[in-house]
Amino acid sequence: MTAILVKAIADLRRRRVQAVVIFVTVLLSIGTGTMAVTLMSQTRDPYQTAFQAQKGAHLQVTFNPKTDPKLLAATPAAIGASAFGGPYLATGLEFKYGDRKYYQNTFGRDTPGGAVEVLKIAGGRWPRANDEIVLTRSFAELNNVPLGAHLRVTSVPQTPMLTVVGEVIDIDEGSADLSSQHAWVLPAAIPALTTPDSRFYAMDYRFPGDPTSSQLAGYVDRLRASLPPGSISGSVNYLLIRSIFNITNQILTGVLSAFSVFALVATIAIVAVLVTGIVISAYREIGIMKALGFTPAGVTGVFTLQIVIPALAACLLGIPAGTLVSQPLLANSSHALGLPYTPSFSISLDLLILVAGLLVVVVAASLPALRAGLLKPITAITNATAPRGGSGRRVRRQAARLGLPRPVILGIGDAFARPLRAVLTVVTVLIGVATVVVAIGLPRSFLLINNSETGAGRYQVLVSRSDAYPDSEVMRILNAQEETARVVAVGGQNVVIPGISDPVNTRLLRGDSAQLGYMVIAGRWFTAPGEVLAPKGLLQEAHLKIGDQVTGSVNGEPLQLRVVGEVYDISNLGRSLFMDLATMAAVRPAIDPFTYYVTLKQGTDVNAYVGRVAAAQPDLIDVHASDTSIIAPVKIIDSVLLVLAAVLALIGVGGVFNTLLLNTRERVHDTATLKAVGMSPRQVIVMVAAAAGLLALVGGLLAMPLGLILHHMLNDVISSSAGNDTPPGAYAVFNPLELGVIPLLAVAVAMLAALVPGRWAARTNVVEVLHSE
Amino acid sequence: MSELVRLTEITKVYQGGVTGALNGVSLTVEEGEFTAVMGPSGSGKTTLLNLVAGLDRPTSGSVTVAGSDLGPLGETALARFRRDHIGFVFQFFHLLPNLTVLENVLIPAQLKSRVSSEAAGRELLAQLGIAELADRYPAKLSGGQQQRVSIARALINRPTLLLADEPTGALDTRSGDEVMELLRQLHRQGKTVLLVTHDAKLATRYAARVVSVMDGRIVDDARLETADREASDVIKVRGEETR
Ligand SMILES: Nc1ncnc2c1ncn2[C@@H]1O[C@H](COP(=O)(O)OP(=O)(O)OP(=O)(O)O)[C@@H](O)[C@H]1O
Ligand SMILES: [Mg+2]
Repeated sequence: MTAILVKAIADLRRRRVQAVVIFVTVLLSIGTGTMAVTLMSQTRDPYQTAFQAQKGAHLQVTFNPKTDPKLLAATPAAIGASAFGGPYLATGLEFKYGDRKYYQNTFGRDTPGGAVEVLKIAGGRWPRANDEIVLTRSFAELNNVPLGAHLRVTSVPQTPMLTVVGEVIDIDEGSADLSSQHAWVLPAAIPALTTPDSRFYAMDYRFPGDPTSSQLAGYVDRLRASLPPGSISGSVNYLLIRSIFNITNQILTGVLSAFSVFALVATIAIVAVLVTGIVISAYREIGIMKALGFTPAGVTGVFTLQIVIPALAACLLGIPAGTLVSQPLLANSSHALGLPYTPSFSISLDLLILVAGLLVVVVAASLPALRAGLLKPITAITNATAPRGGSGRRVRRQAARLGLPRPVILGIGDAFARPLRAVLTVVTVLIGVATVVVAIGLPRSFLLINNSETGAGRYQVLVSRSDAYPDSEVMRILNAQEETARVVAVGGQNVVIPGISDPVNTRLLRGDSAQLGYMVIAGRWFTAPGEVLAPKGLLQEAHLKIGDQVTGSVNGEPLQLRVVGEVYDISNLGRSLFMDLATMAAVRPAIDPFTYYVTLKQGTDVNAYVGRVAAAQPDLIDVHASDTSIIAPVKIIDSVLLVLAAVLALIGVGGVFNTLLLNTRERVHDTATLKAVGMSPRQVIVMVAAAAGLLALVGGLLAMPLGLILHHMLNDVISSSAGNDTPPGAYAVFNPLELGVIPLLAVAVAMLAALVPGRWAARTNVVEVLHSE
Repeated sequence: MSELVRLTEITKVYQGGVTGALNGVSLTVEEGEFTAVMGPSGSGKTTLLNLVAGLDRPTSGSVTVAGSDLGPLGETALARFRRDHIGFVFQFFHLLPNLTVLENVLIPAQLKSRVSSEAAGRELLAQLGIAELADRYPAKLSGGQQQRVSIARALINRPTLLLADEPTGALDTRSGDEVMELLRQLHRQGKTVLLVTHDAKLATRYAARVVSVMDGRIVDDARLETADREASDVIKVRGEETR
């Protein structure tokens, strides 16, 4: 055993560069893998923990203000809830802070505690007076509203002031960058803050166990049946909140695990190439070792150990590093949940990764090492090391036909002289380049979707009005501005759609809404009242397809709709409807829009425009430039992709480098001969670089379709996890020229990496090499 | 006859070498000469040849071949010099195992220019009697055949100087004689040949001049009257040798 170790360590010293290649490759892939596994194991946990701790609501329902609160108080028993909160009297509330105005549903509540939806106070305290309000910490942080801030309520004519006295963490709503937020005041404060139109009741329910989506639908149906028609105005269940909360991490873990598998495959390829290479170059030595009495297992052990030692070192560094790097992502989600962030890692999980990582390396190394172990001593001693016979001949012929210089032709032949090695190297390049393609493509797809959701290039200014200020006045102000090119007004109303338990959030549009840039995936935009578009999520859940008729209901009144198209919309994970405001006016004549998307004439100064419109009505309308920047979770995903691309590209370079190193070492004798018959140092470098270039070219070309398919698939996975089909435009984010340039870039990088082994080969001392024959 | 090779006061000490491999060697070779360098193992013959080929640099002294001093030449210039002026035949052939016979032969020409020399290569193979082996791989050839290939490779660029280091060392007697016969023919056609051997019989039988080396010094430089000696002369020389 000591002999094996001594020999392995001695070999390691001799093959320092290879040890470095193994170390770096394993480090990168084990680090990525650790990140993926750490994130995966922790994603669901913090939400679940917080949900239990805060007695999160399985179902939150809002009711028509005309509903009798006594009836509501009886609903928990009627539907079999195990605990409940409410009924709370609540109101839509608009307030102004600084020069921005915000809209929040505000609940009257005596205490943050209770049987359901416990609000965890993260700062300050619960209101004691009617002029005090509590916000979510998520909202306060996003909008920089500190404790003690004074908010001016603009949705009631008296415009009272409220002081922020507390920040809470609410487990029953998504974070502020992804969804609208709740606020709380004392119940006694509500009457002064509400208008008949903006008030509603709310109830929280908990059920035994963890109800499934269909169980929840059943509860909502029973609830609906127990109340007069039209009583339920909206409902949200915990599964949706959890998905919204988890979606970023889900996408991240998905992406990370997919690419860790890639990194793993590339690592296995490199290890296999390396060990085969070492075995080939050590044929004679193996014979001697056997003659000295090494057993087959001993020989296998020596070669495996040479790989395992640097791999172990890489794991010991890479696993803690991966755990560490995943901490900010985990801290991010703990913070959103108001959980105290404690560096979270599990020693046993890390040990498991270590064992699994080493196992993979051992298997990848010992298979080719076994070949050394099983070699007959005589064959080993007498066998020459360079590949013989016609390997690479056909490639050389083709290259010669192209009239390429001889060093290039020789290099090209060398590239495929060992077919298995060439294939494995191509695989590492393929993986690296494909990842780069994905890392280039996905952020662009995200940007495209982001632009459509934020109206980038379609409208520049967002205006929203207070309930106290009529639609007609807003339109008058906007139309009075010379720079206004187009105004599309948007209202909202929940519609009950058969087959969908929660009332569906509906975007009611007035004006030339087809110009807003919403992405129509199939069918067409609506052109007449009664026509409606919906995302995939809703269509699927309601079993609808384009052309279908459906009868929805609004406050108990039937609404005839015809699906004319599928639209992309990730809000509520694809449960939404898009229709003309006039469609809703048929059942609710009084409905008015509250938000206005304003498109300005070319060359208008947006800020000046915003300032002017805001000055026209400083209190009752909010005017701001449309924010088209990418939301934080997407930025995180983009940067993780970038890191992955860098990691896998680096592994790819490592693969090429490794192969060239082995090729040039094995070919040192041939290189010496070539130099003796007149090959110049530059020609030697060209020869080595040509081999690298060809491997990279083949890998790069194959990577194009693979990268595109992968980009396509990831788009689909991400879109469908947000309840949508991928918009066709999100696939087509590459231009053909670029796709041609990427493999060439791979070739350039590989040739650059070839300079090191190329220089070594060029410096071959002919006399010494041929002398040692 | 003009001078083709001039070695002046050459010493060569290898790294870690205690004594020099060559110690003050001066030698000139005329164009068209068939010179044999002879000496026991380790005497410095290969070292001498490598210096002439520009494969290695002397520790001191100068090497001039075909009018150019190799001393100031860089690696690239030396490679070009070898391509243009030197044909090298090695004891162990040193053919590239993954190239065919013809490809091996053409390599030096292709390193030199992109003009196809395939016809010339095939003609050379025919002259050396191995035309039918053009598409075979070296591993499938006998030693004698391999050495012919290596000679063809050495000749493809029409070198001014043909260097041969123990060209028969790895061959049986018959193949060895055949290879030597080839060298003799080449010499007759006007090639300058510098042959290294430790075999006195070969040296005296084929070369017109025999330079003897011992411990890195030239100890004898004998010009024989004619390269084509009578059979009796050869026998006499042999007799002396085997004494
Ligand atoms: N690359 C080298 N490094 C160190 N020493 C060397 C090297 N090449 C040759 N020598 C030494 O230089 C001396 C001369 O060697 P050289 O190869 O020139 O002898 P040779 O006459 O060709 O011998 P042989 O007949 O065995 O081929 C020897 O002592 C040898 O050990
Ligand atoms: Mg020698």
